[in-house]
Amino acid sequence: MKLEENKKLQFLEKMMFIRQFEYKIVEFARTSKIYGSVHLCVGEEACAVGTGFAFKKEDYILPTHRGHGQAIARGTDPKRLLAEISAKETGLCNGRVGSMHFFDKENNIVGCQGILGAQFPIAIGVGLAINLRKENSIAACYFGDGTSNQGLFYEGMNFASIWDLPILFICLNNLYGMGTHYKKTCKVDIYEKAKLFGIKTETADGNDVEEVYEKTLKLSEYIRKNKKPGLIELYTYRWLGHSALDSRPYRPKEEVEEWIKKDPIKRYEEKLIKEGISVEKISEIKASVEKQINEAAKFAEESAFPEFTNDLEI
Amino acid sequence: MTRDLTYAEALREAMREEMKKDKGVFLVGEDVGQGYRGCFAVSTGLYEEFGPSQIIDTPISENTILGCGIGASLVGMKPIVEMMFADFVAVAFDGILNQAAKVRMMSANQYKLNLVIRLPGGSKNGTGPQHSQSLESIFMSIPGIKIACPVTPYDAKGLLKEAINHEDPVIFFEHKKLYSLKGPVPEEEYRIPFGNARIAKEGKDLTIIAISYMVNVALEAAAIIKEKHNLDVEVIDPRTIVPFDLETVGKSIKKTNKAIIIEEGIKRDGVGAEISSLIMENFFDYLDFPVKRIASKNSIIPMSPLLERAVIPNKESVVKEIEDLLII
Repeated sequence: MKLEENKKLQFLEKMMFIRQFEYKIVEFARTSKIYGSVHLCVGEEACAVGTGFAFKKEDYILPTHRGHGQAIARGTDPKRLLAEISAKETGLCNGRVGSMHFFDKENNIVGCQGILGAQFPIAIGVGLAINLRKENSIAACYFGDGTSNQGLFYEGMNFASIWDLPILFICLNNLYGMGTHYKKTCKVDIYEKAKLFGIKTETADGNDVEEVYEKTLKLSEYIRKNKKPGLIELYTYRWLGHSALDSRPYRPKEEVEEWIKKDPIKRYEEKLIKEGISVEKISEIKASVEKQINEAAKFAEESAFPEFTNDLEI
Repeated sequence: MTRDLTYAEALREAMREEMKKDKGVFLVGEDVGQGYRGCFAVSTGLYEEFGPSQIIDTPISENTILGCGIGASLVGMKPIVEMMFADFVAVAFDGILNQAAKVRMMSANQYKLNLVIRLPGGSKNGTGPQHSQSLESIFMSIPGIKIACPVTPYDAKGLLKEAINHEDPVIFFEHKKLYSLKGPVPEEEYRIPFGNARIAKEGKDLTIIAISYMVNVALEAAAIIKEKHNLDVEVIDPRTIVPFDLETVGKSIKKTNKAIIIEEGIKRDGVGAEISSLIMENFFDYLDFPVKRIASKNSIIPMSPLLERAVIPNKESVVKEIEDLLII
């Protein structure tokens, strides 16, 4: 697939944006500007961007509890997302729910998921509705390696398969479910589990944004055309802890260093420079991202906390 | 025009009318279509009429069946989810507790769920501990959902039509003993708004608030009390327990000064516990004595008939409780 330069620069910009967004949250957390818990996706930016750019406006998105990147890649307004994470009334959900439970109807984000595995049955319902209404959309259901051990994963694979539902299951395999390595929790590779149900599967280097994009696009077009489910497993790594202030003693230092060498952003910058993009252009993008992040931070900080309204009692 | 329909027929008619009106209304569950036509045959004939796009059979996977309802209603459809037995909804509890009930409040009204969850509950013919429970009270403590428990065919139809078009998830309890009972149902369009209790029988001496099938038990007991003691019992059927029509209950208590609550669910932390507290908080000064709760024992629902009878209130046990209370 030949990608236009403009698209490549967009990939880079979005990945940089997500990383700076996440580090802004770390800064907020350290200075107690964040109230609730957050799960950050530093190191996994290529997964969010490569998949997010493969979808159409009419597609439905079900992000995970680590969903900031997935939402930003989808087009969620970062100001309102940061305000939501900061518990402010200008947030996507009026600051009610924070990092892990937000919805963004404007972008067809039908809810992040704080209960691991609960996205599968909901994705089935969305996929069913797409088929019943003969829509041309697909549902993108993100989940992590650890979540593939929930019973609901298997029910989801079964329903998607017997009903031919247009759902793309996207596994972000970052090796750890909280602090437990995937190998300790299951003897079968995740894409192999889906194969058992006759689901078309794909795997990709989750730190290579172009590979993620191309394979996701191909699989999602197969899903759209054939009205059949698919699953893509992306191998990646979260640099930070499970949650913002986790000191992550459960991971060997060498392993972390090994993965930091595979930094999806640095790697992509180097690739683009080799392809002839100027260093100045990249610095320009970085500076523009920084400016936007600072604006989002200012917006979040200056917004008020929400007050109780009657619709919060049913 | 009004004709007599069974409770099951009334439910079927409600679904049929709404499905005809709106292709976004569909029924999903185990054996609702081509197999049993609903475990209690409620959806008989609907598959033939509406086909697989509105009557959807599923694998045995309650959790994902409920997910079908949540996901489809998130994107604007109006699903009706049927659980074979109310007890089985426990398998899908996360979908109610953490998902459906919270969507509207979490999303700050971006998303509203037109979702009905039909639960055949209560005890009939010794179906035993995992097929007989009355679980209303468990759902009462989850903010975000409404709970309907119709008793007559008229209410079954009117409340189900309302539930299908309601913008919060509705847990719809159908007592298994009611399915075959007949009652008048008009052919004309009607819906029953939530939070409106029905006076099942007027009376001036004692107020009974009864839940689901216990309305019929209360009416039988009231007839006996009238005959034996010439006392007029007023029987109130709340029809929905969330929202609860406290006003109608209050009016009755101001008249009778006595209140009893009867339910088939277990007594501990039951529906009666909540209603009793509401009455005490709001109408304490009108009461001659503390609110009395009659409910199932804090037990399993046993299969053996004598044990089942010992656990669940029946007309004789209700009459005795009333007599003890009034020191007759």
